[in-house]
Amino acid sequence: MKRHKEKIKRIVLALALVLVISWVIFPLYIMVKISVSSPQEVMTQHPSFLIKDFTPDHWQKVLSGQAIRGPLTKSLAVATISMIITLGIGIPAAYGISHLPKRWGYLALIAIFFTRMFPEVGIALPIAIKFLEWNLLDTNIGLALAHVIRVLPIACWILVGTFQTIPRELEEQAQIDGATKKVVLQRIVLPLSMGGISVAAIFSWLFSWDEFTYALYLCLAQPTLPLKIYYYITRGSWFLTATYATIITIPVVIITYSLQRFLKAGYTAGALKG
Amino acid sequence: MRRAANFKDYRFELLLILPLALYVIGFTLGPIIYAILLSFQEQFTNNFSLKNYYQIFSHFQFKNALINTFAITILSLILELCVGLFLAVLLTRRFIGKGLLRALMLLPLGVPTIVSAANMRYIFDSQGYLNEFLSRLHLINLPIDWTGGGGLSIFTLALADAWKVTPLVMLILIAGLETIPLDLFEAARVDGASFWQAFRRITLPLLKPFITIPLIVRGIDAFRLFELPLTLVGSSTPVLSTYTYFEYFQYNNPYTAAASAVILLIMIIISATIYLKISRERKSIYNL
Amino acid sequence: MKRIITLLFLLVFICGCRSVGKDVLRVVMGLTEEEWQVMRQDIFPLFEKEHDCRIKAYQVEAQDWVRKLEAMVSANKVTVDVFSQDNMRLYPLVAKKLVEDLTAYVDKIPSQITPSMKEVGVFRTRTYFFPYRPNVQITYYNQKKFNEYNLKPPKTWDELLKVGKRFKEAEGVGRLGLKLWGGSPTVAQVYELIVSAGGEPFEFNDQGCIDTFVFLKKLYPYLSVDSKKAKWDTTNTYLANESFYLAQNWPFGVNIIVKEYGKNEIKAYSGWRGPKREAHTVGGEVLGIPKGAKNKELALKFILFLESREVQEILVSKLGWPLVRQDAYGQIAEWQEPYFEAVEEALKEGVYRPNVLYWGDFEKFLNEAIMRILVNQEEIKPVLNQYHQKMQDVIIAYETRC
Repeated sequence: MKRHKEKIKRIVLALALVLVISWVIFPLYIMVKISVSSPQEVMTQHPSFLIKDFTPDHWQKVLSGQAIRGPLTKSLAVATISMIITLGIGIPAAYGISHLPKRWGYLALIAIFFTRMFPEVGIALPIAIKFLEWNLLDTNIGLALAHVIRVLPIACWILVGTFQTIPRELEEQAQIDGATKKVVLQRIVLPLSMGGISVAAIFSWLFSWDEFTYALYLCLAQPTLPLKIYYYITRGSWFLTATYATIITIPVVIITYSLQRFLKAGYTAGALKG
Repeated sequence: MRRAANFKDYRFELLLILPLALYVIGFTLGPIIYAILLSFQEQFTNNFSLKNYYQIFSHFQFKNALINTFAITILSLILELCVGLFLAVLLTRRFIGKGLLRALMLLPLGVPTIVSAANMRYIFDSQGYLNEFLSRLHLINLPIDWTGGGGLSIFTLALADAWKVTPLVMLILIAGLETIPLDLFEAARVDGASFWQAFRRITLPLLKPFITIPLIVRGIDAFRLFELPLTLVGSSTPVLSTYTYFEYFQYNNPYTAAASAVILLIMIIISATIYLKISRERKSIYNL
Repeated sequence: MKRIITLLFLLVFICGCRSVGKDVLRVVMGLTEEEWQVMRQDIFPLFEKEHDCRIKAYQVEAQDWVRKLEAMVSANKVTVDVFSQDNMRLYPLVAKKLVEDLTAYVDKIPSQITPSMKEVGVFRTRTYFFPYRPNVQITYYNQKKFNEYNLKPPKTWDELLKVGKRFKEAEGVGRLGLKLWGGSPTVAQVYELIVSAGGEPFEFNDQGCIDTFVFLKKLYPYLSVDSKKAKWDTTNTYLANESFYLAQNWPFGVNIIVKEYGKNEIKAYSGWRGPKREAHTVGGEVLGIPKGAKNKELALKFILFLESREVQEILVSKLGWPLVRQDAYGQIAEWQEPYFEAVEEALKEGVYRPNVLYWGDFEKFLNEAIMRILVNQEEIKPVLNQYHQKMQDVIIAYETRC
């Protein structure tokens, strides 16, 4: 009797699991599927689930065309610059915060944390106007600077967490030996926290790579990849949307996987995003 | 006097923080203040007035937007927590294929929001894949209008949002579960407690702080949901952020747009204050 | 060291030197990729050769352009010399004083251009925009489904209602498409219904307006549920995936539905007449010069170049765009011909929307009235009376200000 009940419980559990897993995979599968399906197969009242009429047309069109080069270069460049800026501001700040008295550090961290809660639709316009005054509209550096708004809090959280794990005795010992705070930072702290820094760097890169709202306001000539997808969505091109969506997703998924072991709660707390 | 000395002690650290502070003031606080000022300006005359607020509060869509925003937030939080908890509990146990499952569950994490929005369109379209799936199972005869407004659309949005965010909630809950000492469960088992009893008496109470954090942080994010409602349901189910967008993009009125952005901001600040209160009760927020 | 070199390399790569030299004309348009290809390959080079300059062209969506230009002008850094814009989105450009007054150059507009087209760029007495591309919505229908149910494309409101009923009875769901997503797509469509019922849209509560809303309310149950998500982009998708068997949309949809998706059974015709007349709102694009543009002279030459017979003939033969000139004609692809005929047919009954500064408010009010009456099922007359009053207030407010 008890074994019977156990069996039912297992089946229910397995079913729930299957449901959740298919819910996770299904949208991604459909995206890839549409990108390699012929229009006749998808554009009907009863689309098929399996790829019955495979066609490389959409991929060929995208990869051989000129259209993708601009957005791809721009997205790569902006993500890289905003990563550099983020680290440039974030590393010193995070080190500073982690060495302040607990209360101050806490306040600083909360303050940064709040900045990422402000509605993006509310900040984007004033920033666009400001950028124009500074002649930053439509430049890679301008967009990257805006992306830092979104990226910095996450990077700071990760970095502060990293610096806190470095035993304070090590630093104190070095200071007793006569090293200045600056030297301690350069020689001891930074090398020891390379792991955390690279995680922060990659997250910064990712968060800029898939950013949409600021790009919408700050791009004029060359769209980024997410904007290009939006362009195809607004033009009603299902297949190009799916193809571009797959292209933009691939590096992100690969990176996320390779970072899996770093995806601990401490890091992700700040990385929670909508 | 003691304070001043303190500042001096930390001159180097404060200097390091300075660029960050400047950046935040210039790129976040500045724009926000500008938006707030805008919301109190009258169109054309630039006089100070409350007209914009009066205008949006008397607008029939704004009330819908407000209600929808709350409804979506609550619904998606419930979904994310339930599924997240289920998966977290599962993933802290040992079984074959656990690594694979964990890897699969983390998949949506990396998917850009605009991509997930595009994908959800394929799924929830009236001729989309979900309806096709249901009709092949003979569960429905006529296509369901998932995104046409009303309660169903709110459910759809919550589901679409949960797709992307549940893995994060799951990760935090796993971290929480890992802090619970295993011998507690051992002891419970020795005492003859069932899995459910142990879950209710041990897991849930100890996990409480780990639940409140994603609850509030995710709540704030759900308030701001933008790409999903924009591409999925449009004006049939307005939320605060899309209402702001429509006021500005469709009707070119930055003033009422700013006003509704400020309302959103107030809601967020209230939630953030609650978050602050709760997390202050605990010693360290860094390590969760 | 290695890291630093990589960094430097990246910085150089990112900043990239912008080559200068020749005169550069910066152009903004909102086109599909196919249209861009024709512009870049067949049209721009002609101009570049003639005037020894280089054209830098940017894609900006029509709905984004006002904000972008506003930001540029307010920052006094206008980096665009000439732009094309949807003729229904001109009012804010003029109201916010973002464009150059081109009245002085009106006599340069070629005389062969259809006279009514010239009116589109005129606000009160001043001319701000020059015409270059007329456009009109055509009605797409799924021939296979119409044949299946033995129906003909509706030519009157009554027939439209009948067709809608037949589809709903047969399939259980509505199959007519109406763009109810909101914004200008919705307004363009209802505007022409009101005019064809003999109404004056700005009045909101005259007999024609009331008749239109009564009709829409009757039609509403037979609309596809996707109507609420339909605007000019999604309408193509819904026609292609057979959620709509009949819907109006702009001619660019042909390229997506028929050419890209291969849905040859989707045909088009000019549309139906209302109780009083047949009316199709004329849309399309005009050209303007941003206030403070650096290369105004060249921009003006570019505008006239796009209006020239040579360019117009390329546009019609390669893209099937309707002509802005009466003396031009071109050979269009065979498959495209029936659609082009529908466009020509519809243009014959074209109505131009007046250039009024309060168009934005009107658009908002009409949208709200449509949502409240159709989606929220409110009573017609009280709602319309309310918006009549609101509209009058706005008109008076604008008139006292100017």
